[in-house]
Amino acid sequence: MAATRMQTDVPTPQDSPDFSKKDWPGRWSHINKILDRRGPFCDKSFSPGHGEDILLNQCRVLVIGAGGLGCEILKNLALSGFKDIEVIDMDTIDVSNLNRQFLFRPSDVGSPKAKVAAEFIMKRVASVKDKDDDYYLGFHLIICGLDSVEARRWINATLVNIAQDDPEKIRVLIDGGTEGFKGQARVIIPTVTSCYECSLDMLNKQTAFPICTIANTPRLPEHCIEWASVIQWPKEREDEKMDTDDPTHIQWLYEIALKRAMEFNITGVTYSLTQGVVKNIIPAFASTNAIISAACCNEAFKIVTTSQPYLNNYMMYMGNEGLYTYTFEHQKKDDCPVCGNQNAFLEVDKDITVQDFIELLKEKPDIQLKKPSLTTDTNEKIYWQSPPLFEQRTRPNLEKRLSELVKDGYNIIVTDTTLPISLNITVSYI
Amino acid sequence: MNIDKKSQKYDRQLRLWQVSGQEALENSRVCLINGTATGCEILKDLVLPGIGSFTVVDGKEVDGADAGISFFLDGDRIGTNRAQAVTELLQELNEDVRGDYLAEDPISLIENRIDYFLQFTIVIAVGVPEKPLLKLSEALWDAKIPLFIVRTTGFVGYFRIMFPEHTVVETHPESIIDLRLDIPFPALEQYAKTFDFDSMDNMDHGHIPYVVILLKYLDQWKKDHDGKLPSTSAEKKQFKQLIESGRRNIDEENFNEALANAWRVFTPTKVTSQVQEIFNDSACESITANSSNFWIITRAIRDFVMNEGQGLLPLAGTVPDMKADTSTYVTLQTIYRQKAKTDIATVRSNVDKILSSIGRTSDFINDDEIVSFCKHAAFIQVIRYRSLKEEYISDPKKSDIDRWLQDPQDNIVHYILIRAIDKFYEAHNRYPDAATFFFEGDTEEVNEEAKSEFELLKTYVNILLSDWQITNPPDHLDDYIHEICRAGGSELPNMASLLGGLVSQEVIKLVTRQYIPINNTSIFDGIKSTSSTYIL
Repeated sequence: MAATRMQTDVPTPQDSPDFSKKDWPGRWSHINKILDRRGPFCDKSFSPGHGEDILLNQCRVLVIGAGGLGCEILKNLALSGFKDIEVIDMDTIDVSNLNRQFLFRPSDVGSPKAKVAAEFIMKRVASVKDKDDDYYLGFHLIICGLDSVEARRWINATLVNIAQDDPEKIRVLIDGGTEGFKGQARVIIPTVTSCYECSLDMLNKQTAFPICTIANTPRLPEHCIEWASVIQWPKEREDEKMDTDDPTHIQWLYEIALKRAMEFNITGVTYSLTQGVVKNIIPAFASTNAIISAACCNEAFKIVTTSQPYLNNYMMYMGNEGLYTYTFEHQKKDDCPVCGNQNAFLEVDKDITVQDFIELLKEKPDIQLKKPSLTTDTNEKIYWQSPPLFEQRTRPNLEKRLSELVKDGYNIIVTDTTLPISLNITVSYI
Repeated sequence: MNIDKKSQKYDRQLRLWQVSGQEALENSRVCLINGTATGCEILKDLVLPGIGSFTVVDGKEVDGADAGISFFLDGDRIGTNRAQAVTELLQELNEDVRGDYLAEDPISLIENRIDYFLQFTIVIAVGVPEKPLLKLSEALWDAKIPLFIVRTTGFVGYFRIMFPEHTVVETHPESIIDLRLDIPFPALEQYAKTFDFDSMDNMDHGHIPYVVILLKYLDQWKKDHDGKLPSTSAEKKQFKQLIESGRRNIDEENFNEALANAWRVFTPTKVTSQVQEIFNDSACESITANSSNFWIITRAIRDFVMNEGQGLLPLAGTVPDMKADTSTYVTLQTIYRQKAKTDIATVRSNVDKILSSIGRTSDFINDDEIVSFCKHAAFIQVIRYRSLKEEYISDPKKSDIDRWLQDPQDNIVHYILIRAIDKFYEAHNRYPDAATFFFEGDTEEVNEEAKSEFELLKTYVNILLSDWQITNPPDHLDDYIHEICRAGGSELPNMASLLGGLVSQEVIKLVTRQYIPINNTSIFDGIKSTSSTYIL
């Protein structure tokens, strides 16, 4: 994972004398009006005149994601006076990023995002330093501009776990997300406020087309496209891995989908729709990313400098019809699988099999685990997804009734290979 | 397949506003008055998606403070003209966009050469004082060019849209569902009648589209109830029970869908009051050679509604997905599309009649426009913005402002303070700028100069309140006077960027004529992270 660290205003010996990297008179005068003056809304503990010092010498920020949100976040943090910023992103730059990820140019296509982003910011505002070992604890603040629910759940669970042992280890997480004209920004103080997992059930359910529709009764152009990708590709090109970034693969899927659509008199299959369905493309433009990133960085600034009260704790934004924000305090859940200290309670059918129980854990909106492994609270394995040896050994249990292995009112410990969490579920049979 | 680089680059946004929207953007010329951090952030979010061109008008010289908060300046450019300096770095964001600058004081330009601004599609005025702003707004209003007024100070962002009339057809509603279950047209009724539920095997029965299920049972109901629809809640319950009785097993998804959508039968299809208002508008009533396409088509649709439509809009023609076998679904879809096509043809001929009556040929309005209009007919919008003159002089919203002001959480208080610092600027040629807030009894920090700055700004606040006949100013007003003195006319990078996103989005809506813009003022409070919209 490419990680690059930037530190502003620190000239390194190999740097050429470059006036833009040095400081100049008045550079921080706008921001200092806020940092050097008390205001009616700030906490009594706010100490005028020290803000620049906190930002300059003390605060380390980690930015996860150098895409649509990440570029904006890096720019905003650097301009706001944050001096010690590290950015991570696994992706490389694509042409379709260029309409909003403004730290990248056509000549950068193919290069790693984190590296190019940090270099651009270095030239324009700040400079880069090498990465440090002691990871998340080494930062005061983590800001996420991610495009996946899984990645967010992972970082959230990691930070909550770290903080649970020791309040000194609490690190603030600011999370932003956008989709078309909509977005949200939230402030998470692990173990104190609601965490990302607490609000899992707020997520829109992804449209998944039932397999019988795709196989037998397609009606929409999307069904034809899914058929091409999920049924025909494995049939005709089973040894090849589908690469959704390869235009020739998309072209193949498009033609297959079109043929099927014509058989059924379905209109509407286009190359663009094919791409959209197969890559799960989320429409995006610069404005929404600018709004949400700025809101996140505004909170970061306020939290670190204590110059104003900060968001407690969630702002939703919608811009397709007028301009609408909804700001509220999302409640922490006592039985949250990640930050809760109470057991979750589940009522299940007395005949439910271990397999079906696992499916339930995958489907339930407030749990949504990908690969749950089950253990009794006396440490007996019910079913483990990995390692392969244990998976094989516990596989026969899948067919058994759960009630044979776990008595009514007893606990099951659930872990998941994709999340650093351990969930205690008390099961009761009906 | 030849996907050119530009379509690839703009792919993600084309999925929001299509080629037609992109073309409108690429034909637009944007003028930014004052290359402040906020102004540049707005332009960034317009240059990236590919507006045709932009021009920055600014007479100021870049100073150290400017360079510190703008991504489009750096230390090297201190001492150069700000318009010129930012244009270079903005231009470099997108090679498809033409960037230009005018290194002149915009206020003199407004005084002496106001026609300069009439060449643009949109003008964005950032931090322009009240008097020249009023003059500019009048010229642009008469020329029917949208004006965006933008201010950021400390943690507060404000913007206002001003434009005589904005019409939108492609509002992009969440869904367009026009099934006419309560009043099925002949072809639809006919089709439903061809189904003999009892003779169908379980497989087919489980694939009857819910539209047909509802029509079938509705038909039965009407026979037993004098041709009337279920209306009381008891009747509605009974109707649902009737449907339930037809279900063969618990797994029939189509019956679940029928029950979930039964309410569509109870809700009469009609022209909404919003659309009716648009029909009643004088611009729809009197069509002249100067009428826009929007009003011509609206009138054609109104005529349709009053005649062939029998009180209803042209059929939208789309059918949502539903549990059904392919051929039944496609047949149903075709029936709806066919009726929609017929309606469109009638509207087309109405349009042609109107065009002829005002001396134009029918190719003046193309088919695509009419097709899109008919599809969106239930969702069209007309916004008539108030002029700045009305807001500031002839008809300020005094009683609304008074009412909103009483709520300590309401963001209108920021509007009052922004107007007040403009009055302050007019009198003293600077913005209020001092650390005026102290704790009680903290004698070390108390500063006489700061105290008098507070009092001075307060006098301008009071002038405004008195102009608006607001006699009971709330207590919390003082806090905001302190806060704006603290901000001292500063521009914070996060607020500049946030407003950049909000304003650019609204500019895009106006230029593409898609989605619904705000009417007419938006205020973002960065302290509470809340926003509010007002008609001022």
